[in-house]
Amino acid sequence: MLTLIKREIHDHPLFFIGSVILSTVLIGLSIATLKGHYWIELTAFDSPAGTIVSTILVFVFFGMGAVQMDTDRTRKISAFISILSVSRNRILLAKIIAGLLAILIALVPLAVTVTILLRIHIPPIPVFHVMVLEIFSGTFLITLACYFIGLQAGWNSGRLPPVIIGLILTCILLTLIIIKGFMPEIMIILTLFTVASLIRTWHLFMSTPL
Amino acid sequence: MKLSTNYIVRVLVTGFVVLTLLSIPLFWIRFLCNEILSVWMPREYKYVDIEPTGLLPDNLENDPNIERHSRVYARLDEWEYPHLGIIEYFESTSPGESRSCLILSSSEKDWAYFDNKSGHFVFRYVETKIMPDSDKLEREVQYYIGPEGISEIPDKTLGRFIEPIVDSSEFKTSLWKSGRIILYDKKLRSFFAINFEDRNITKSRQLLKDDPRRPIDIGILNKNDDILDLYWMLPKVKTSENNQVRTLYSRERFGSIIKEGDPDYRPDKYLLVLDESGRIDLLDKETLEFAGSAGRLPTPATLFPADKNATPDDLLAYRILPMALKEDRKYRGLFAAAVNREGTALALSVFDANGVLIRSDHTGERDYRGRRGTLSSRAVLFSFPGAPAITIGRFLLENLHPPILSLASYFTADSFEAGSGHRALLLLPNSFIAMKGRDARDDNIVVDNIVVRFLYALLLMSPSIVLAILLAWRVGKDAAFIGFSRKTRRWWLLGTIAFGLVGYITYRLTRPKITLVTCANCGKPRRPDTGICHRCGSKWDVPELVPPTWRVIDG
Repeated sequence: MLTLIKREIHDHPLFFIGSVILSTVLIGLSIATLKGHYWIELTAFDSPAGTIVSTILVFVFFGMGAVQMDTDRTRKISAFISILSVSRNRILLAKIIAGLLAILIALVPLAVTVTILLRIHIPPIPVFHVMVLEIFSGTFLITLACYFIGLQAGWNSGRLPPVIIGLILTCILLTLIIIKGFMPEIMIILTLFTVASLIRTWHLFMSTPL
Repeated sequence: MKLSTNYIVRVLVTGFVVLTLLSIPLFWIRFLCNEILSVWMPREYKYVDIEPTGLLPDNLENDPNIERHSRVYARLDEWEYPHLGIIEYFESTSPGESRSCLILSSSEKDWAYFDNKSGHFVFRYVETKIMPDSDKLEREVQYYIGPEGISEIPDKTLGRFIEPIVDSSEFKTSLWKSGRIILYDKKLRSFFAINFEDRNITKSRQLLKDDPRRPIDIGILNKNDDILDLYWMLPKVKTSENNQVRTLYSRERFGSIIKEGDPDYRPDKYLLVLDESGRIDLLDKETLEFAGSAGRLPTPATLFPADKNATPDDLLAYRILPMALKEDRKYRGLFAAAVNREGTALALSVFDANGVLIRSDHTGERDYRGRRGTLSSRAVLFSFPGAPAITIGRFLLENLHPPILSLASYFTADSFEAGSGHRALLLLPNSFIAMKGRDARDDNIVVDNIVVRFLYALLLMSPSIVLAILLAWRVGKDAAFIGFSRKTRRWWLLGTIAFGLVGYITYRLTRPKITLVTCANCGKPRRPDTGICHRCGSKWDVPELVPPTWRVIDG
């Protein structure tokens, strides 16, 4: 399994390097924002910043999902690996773990930095920590959901139309944040959507002849 | 064809994905329709005023030098976009709002919050003391406040607040540091006064278990105040100066505008308490005892009239403005404005000091004499250019929603808070069918009326039902063509009737991708992966393998 994950990382290094760069830039921005403003002004940044970060991540990881599957399909990687004693379940699982890893690389250092900065710069008022938790979990879930849409779009034959449809669906799903904010209901909808997308991806991958 | 569990799971997950992804664009188109209606709505549908207010003493109101009587004015602003979740989320986490534990953040050094874990309020502020030599001594203090006392360190003996609501009106000025803050705990069912000067807590008697009062807000009573403006104006007295200046829109021409929280015009003895039933009570600030009824939230008109009184959850926005004069600060009554759930009507009421309704008005069309015509809740949908097209468009859009969810919206119409209805995706509390569901004219339950109301709701859903039946017919035909069993076809028929367009798209996405072959028996297309033809039931016509009579012999 570890070998499969390593291979996924090796095949798509750009996304992992991109995640690190994105995370570093966002950390820099959050430090600058927190240092440049009084803490009572901070709530004004949380939602817009959360929305912008979500938008960037959603498109990056939709792209990652689509590229992962498209590369696999066109270069017949799964077909080749299946000859060895590796099940298709494990191949897909390795892809998803690699994708998840890239998302976490982009999000976790940022979340940890923001939490630490909040502890240093503002009084111990729980509302800010709850907001950080809600914004990051919402961002994580929507990024994951769009990553799965990318996986499905990339696996379909015919390169452009499925990707364009996938992009449109990603844009549609992204507006869910504007409709619902980062309130608990979005977590429920996105969790269900992510699970449903995962099952659909799994079924699509398992049922298509290699 | 027997269905595998795999197929059922695939259909369910695809259905959920389709439902989510279809609900979002439908939401945005509905949002656009509502936003256009809100922007295009004529001005007279958005404001209501009452003149004279009826609360001022006669000697002031009937002064011969009065140019204009006292007046109360309420105005509805654009009502769609402030209810988008992202804005709502941001606002609800601001100090004093519903999802924020922060109750005060007036400066970097003055803040207070409620700590849910310990059940204490934590107040941190700069305390100023005048020393005997008249010098000011400033020091930062932090107090932990529980129902049993105030301390500089967190202590269990302070007790625990559980679900407190705080009167934030005192925070408008820095005087609270030497005054007192009143709060109510919903679970402890008592009022408390935090006395900062004496550093003690005053507690009221606990409300009895059978007491119907359930306070939900105290002090400044408002909800979604960003979309509703309410103020009153003192009478304008003629002076030589304003007889000369006659500019129509000059603010000077009117009296001073008095808004919520204005410390000069706030009653000094009483605090307003809003009950979950919509009733407004007076609370004596000193004794922390109820001092009588002050009025109730007005009930704005709705498309399908409802007889019942509006509760805070039924209203998209409300504002209450107690009235007192600067001279004596005596409580003289209150003004209450409320916006209906859909945001299409505004009602304004004036209650006197005894809580008796003395004046009220609603938004609506006005004729050239200024008399009210059709109420805005109805007029906004049809009475100005472009409105009928948008209303019909919105109605048809609502009918693209799954019929089963429309039906659920009808039955659950009343159970959602009004603001959340404006960002609803699946159940639509602001749809026409849900509005019919809230039609409370039949509350003196007559079974016939309930049936008639339900039939009316079905009539509103009829385009959706017709579409669902049409799509179900297409699905049924295709399912028979592709060879689904009778039982599977029945499930698909029911699913498509229940979920309409969502059911149909799900069917198209999960339909087995099989190339049919011609049946040798009936000549119709049949599935190649089943033993018998799903149309005529004949088996595969396999030619018998008869060995040839000739042989190839070596040599």
